[in-house]
Amino acid sequence: MSESSPLIVINNITYAYPNGTQALKNVSLNINAGELIGIMGSNGAGKTTLIRTLNGLIQPQSGSIFINNENIQSKTIAEISKSVGIVFQNPEHQLFSNTVRDEIKFSLKNIFDKEELLETKIEDTLKMFHFEQFKEKAPLNLSGGQKKKLALASIVCRDPSILIFDEPTLGQDEKEIDFLIALLRKETQNNKTIIIVTHNIEFAYQYIPRVILMSKGRLLADGPTTKVLSNEQLIKKASLILPQLTQLKASLRAIGLEIPDALHTQEAVRDFLIKFFESRSHKGGLS
Amino acid sequence: MSFKFLEAFKFYRKKAVLHNLDPRTKLLLALVYTISSLLFTNIIPLLLLFLTLFPLILIGKLAKQWFKSIRGLSFLFILIVIFNTFFLSVSYSIAMIIRIVIMISSFSIFFLTVDPNELSLSLISMKVPFEFAFSFSLAFRFVPTISIEAQNIIDAQQSRGYELKKKGIVSQVKNLFPLLIPLIICSVKRAFNVAEALESRAFGSERQRTYYFTIKYTYKDWIMTFILLVILTLSIIAKIYFNYLPSWVSWGLPI
Ligand SMILES: Nc1ncnc2c1ncn2[C@@H]1O[C@H](COP(=O)(O)OP(=O)(O)OP(=O)(O)O)[C@@H](O)[C@H]1O
Ligand SMILES: [Mg+2]
Repeated sequence: MSESSPLIVINNITYAYPNGTQALKNVSLNINAGELIGIMGSNGAGKTTLIRTLNGLIQPQSGSIFINNENIQSKTIAEISKSVGIVFQNPEHQLFSNTVRDEIKFSLKNIFDKEELLETKIEDTLKMFHFEQFKEKAPLNLSGGQKKKLALASIVCRDPSILIFDEPTLGQDEKEIDFLIALLRKETQNNKTIIIVTHNIEFAYQYIPRVILMSKGRLLADGPTTKVLSNEQLIKKASLILPQLTQLKASLRAIGLEIPDALHTQEAVRDFLIKFFESRSHKGGLS
Repeated sequence: MSFKFLEAFKFYRKKAVLHNLDPRTKLLLALVYTISSLLFTNIIPLLLLFLTLFPLILIGKLAKQWFKSIRGLSFLFILIVIFNTFFLSVSYSIAMIIRIVIMISSFSIFFLTVDPNELSLSLISMKVPFEFAFSFSLAFRFVPTISIEAQNIIDAQQSRGYELKKKGIVSQVKNLFPLLIPLIICSVKRAFNVAEALESRAFGSERQRTYYFTIKYTYKDWIMTFILLVILTLSIIAKIYFNYLPSWVSWGLPI
């Protein structure tokens, strides 16, 4: 196949749950290898449903999904999950071992069958996620945030080429969010493709380059995050709120300050304001 | 998947004759069929009993869900066949399967057509204390929630390489832990949460309470009750005079 064909091709898929809820309606989407992409939208928009189709947990009733030019319909979940790892919203749905270490081991044991390799991989993972002091602790006695991190570790350690996180920032403190951001950086540098479902608009605005918006099972928008999340109408339709920086720019514009659209970071806006006031004071102070 | 049989107990609000009957009538139905099926160990009488149940499944518009629950429990049938064929006979194991199908069907008719709210009312009308009636209907109400949760757990484990199907009895049993442990823990947690939520709304502070909805026995219920009692009486008579019945009733396979 041609080199430029996208890694994930979602082709007009539709899905209804057995009770009749139409959760996905004609969703089409292409994702390239190495991309970091966000999925946003109100509760019940169909975000979790969409990611569940990506490793074959549910089969869309119509449409198709290709990963690496292969139709995933013909593969088993076990096969797909070697290259697609999903970390779900609720970590308690997967923790069951006696110790943190065993929890990681469970994720790795059907990938590495050599005992030595398995052991080193477990130790590496424990170190990478700063779980060394906790490794003999019971997962259920960890704090909510740590459980979430352990669930994350138990997928990331399998080293899938596509990583999908459902609400990774929910209930995480600043330190853990920083850890997550560093992890995202590292994994994208290794050419991993990452999909993040999130309600955290500031997080998306700052760290995720591309975002899709969903509402009632449909795709509302798909594009650069700074652009999509600055579009007031779209944001309203997806029942989100504008990022603070966009709000600030809008209120500055309302008092007549011509602030360029291209400024997407705090620093850029700050520098712009400093320059603006400096040029004003040279002209004879504030009026 | 392995939790699919829970479908058998999910109540969906429908407009069908059975749904409109009083919950007590449907409880009677489940009991009459269970008792009657326990009276017989031969294929023919059990089959006849089952055939009387079939029209109910059809008028209740339950055929699809009923079939799902039966299919979900097929592993049970295999166990029955293995045990009974070893120790007794093929005819006996067939009869036992029909018996189980009758019991499951009659109880799933009950669960599929009784609104959880009505259930507690009907228990109270049978002089069960409110606290018990309420807990019972609450448990009942959580069945669908738990079945969705079970599905989510299966999903979460499968996306880290867990395989649902394993070969060999021992690894199959071991394979249940990654599903059962999270399920039990989440359920226990939810139980505590519900208890706290109830207490913070002053549950049980008043001894005498009134009810917003009421249930009523209508003429349809009386007709149904009559039919059920006839079935029960006939079954008991047939059991007592079993030896005087024509020989085809006790027909069985030669093995
Ligand atoms: N197991 C299920 N059975 C039936 N309906 C479901 C099930 N799971 C989800 N739904 C329904 O499908 C729709 C989409 O749900 P989904 O979980 O994909 O939303 P979401 O965008 O992830 O929401 P949230 O932000 O709350 O996580 C909702 O209307 C939901 O009620
Ligand atoms: Mg979700």
